[in-house]
Amino acid sequence: MNAGPTPNNEAPFEAATPVGFIAEFGATAMALGRTARELYSLFVRTLYYSFRGKREPGAVVTYMFEIGNRSLFFITVVMGFIGMIMVYQGGAQTKRVLPDLTLLGANFIELLIRDFAASIGGLMLATRVGAGIAAEIGSMVVTEQIDALRMCAADPVDYLVKPRFLASIVMTAVLGIWSAAVAFLTGMATAFVWFDVSPRTFASLLLVDSVDLGTGLAKCIAYGAAIPIVSAHAGLSTFGGSEGVGTATTRAVVNSSLAVIVLNLIISAASFLLFG
Amino acid sequence: MALRLAPHRAFVGTAHVIGTMGLLASRIFSRVASLQFDRDELIRNLYRMGFQSMPIVIVTALFTGAIMVVQAAPLVNRLGAHGLLGWAAGFGTLREVAPLLTALMISGRVGANNTAELGTMVVTEQVDALRILAIDPISFLVAPRFVAITLTLFIATIFADVLALLGAAWMGDLLLGVAPATFYNGLTSGLLGVGDVTSGMLKSILFGGLIGLSSCQFGLSVTGGAPGVGRAVNATVVASATGVFVIDYFVSFTL
Repeated sequence: MNAGPTPNNEAPFEAATPVGFIAEFGATAMALGRTARELYSLFVRTLYYSFRGKREPGAVVTYMFEIGNRSLFFITVVMGFIGMIMVYQGGAQTKRVLPDLTLLGANFIELLIRDFAASIGGLMLATRVGAGIAAEIGSMVVTEQIDALRMCAADPVDYLVKPRFLASIVMTAVLGIWSAAVAFLTGMATAFVWFDVSPRTFASLLLVDSVDLGTGLAKCIAYGAAIPIVSAHAGLSTFGGSEGVGTATTRAVVNSSLAVIVLNLIISAASFLLFG
Repeated sequence: MALRLAPHRAFVGTAHVIGTMGLLASRIFSRVASLQFDRDELIRNLYRMGFQSMPIVIVTALFTGAIMVVQAAPLVNRLGAHGLLGWAAGFGTLREVAPLLTALMISGRVGANNTAELGTMVVTEQVDALRILAIDPISFLVAPRFVAITLTLFIATIFADVLALLGAAWMGDLLLGVAPATFYNGLTSGLLGVGDVTSGMLKSILFGGLIGLSSCQFGLSVTGGAPGVGRAVNATVVASATGVFVIDYFVSFTL
């Protein structure tokens, strides 16, 4: 697990010559390819250990608490505000083109289930959970606890990454559903207060079909799987003492957020093209 | 960690964080207003935080623009409102999506990194060493970083506005067959005003100030060695993300 230093971390000012630029570009591309290969290998090993690894009782539950319950307050605050903002902005804009707002709730709930609950929740978890995982594993790498694990014939992937991976998949799905519920409630309140849309009209599942539900859940599971893998990779490739842990944490947050955004585009486009 | 599950602790913790951030803000503003901060440090930080974040900002903006159109696609098809796609995408991008997503990415890359750096300096007593040398840590370390983060986010949001609209136009052409010219017409047909752009810009300045302030504050108040730095980074990203959404809510409602 050696990703090498990020190539443009401390790039010198004079790297503006054409050759320097091309060299830097190539180095970045090669580092990207290497990271992708390592991520793939880590993912495959984690999957393998998920079925074949040693069962450590309680580990998954501990991390489920760490990832899920500890994020509950954060997720609730953020999704509550998101629900209010979306309904307010959506309603204010729709009023400019269409006179009636009866479909505001139906459209909001469809969007929420298909995308926003999973994606905003996923982005929030990527920052909180990703930073936590990378900081934990990174400081273990720096203090040579990972090497100690290897000496005890315990694969760090089996011992550290697998329980976080399983816990994150379960809790991201659970928190995705919770996010949808919170945003729905605050959205309903906003619609009632600002646009006089009664809660009965707002809470309409008219436009929600199984494709929306399936897309939303698929996103939850994909994010839940991607975040711990990307962050654990950042943590395991920590180098350079306590300062390195900070860099690894940053890399984990950025890369898992990017992973969420890229997966979102892929899954959304696939679902639109496949099911219309 | 200010955000625990126990409500009373969360409340006291949040009040403590907000209070210390206010104090730090007043110190930073007094240095910035009297121009007592290190220019070289500001330029160095602008290069590291601003210029080197551009790849992330570009990728995020292009993808989010595309995602917005993919999400709107069933609705557009249902209503047959292809001409309104430019307006809808422009409105969502300029007012909400570009400032929010850029702030989240910058908070992850720059804010977290800033906390880690300042935290490591505090833990290794480099900040105390600065004080011994009669160098004011606020004007040498903190104020330039604060200004750099705010400027970075402001400029990055302008980039993100343009690029997200490009991504949206491209995806609209690809997925819905909305020609870029139609998209551009929807964007400029008069439903969008200057207010939509300035609202997003104002948000980005507030978000930048918040990220700068919270990342400096959590970095300076690190205790407990290297694990403390990890905890502080975690607290920064959580506080920045929550604060960004709360500020967004209030700005959206008042403008």
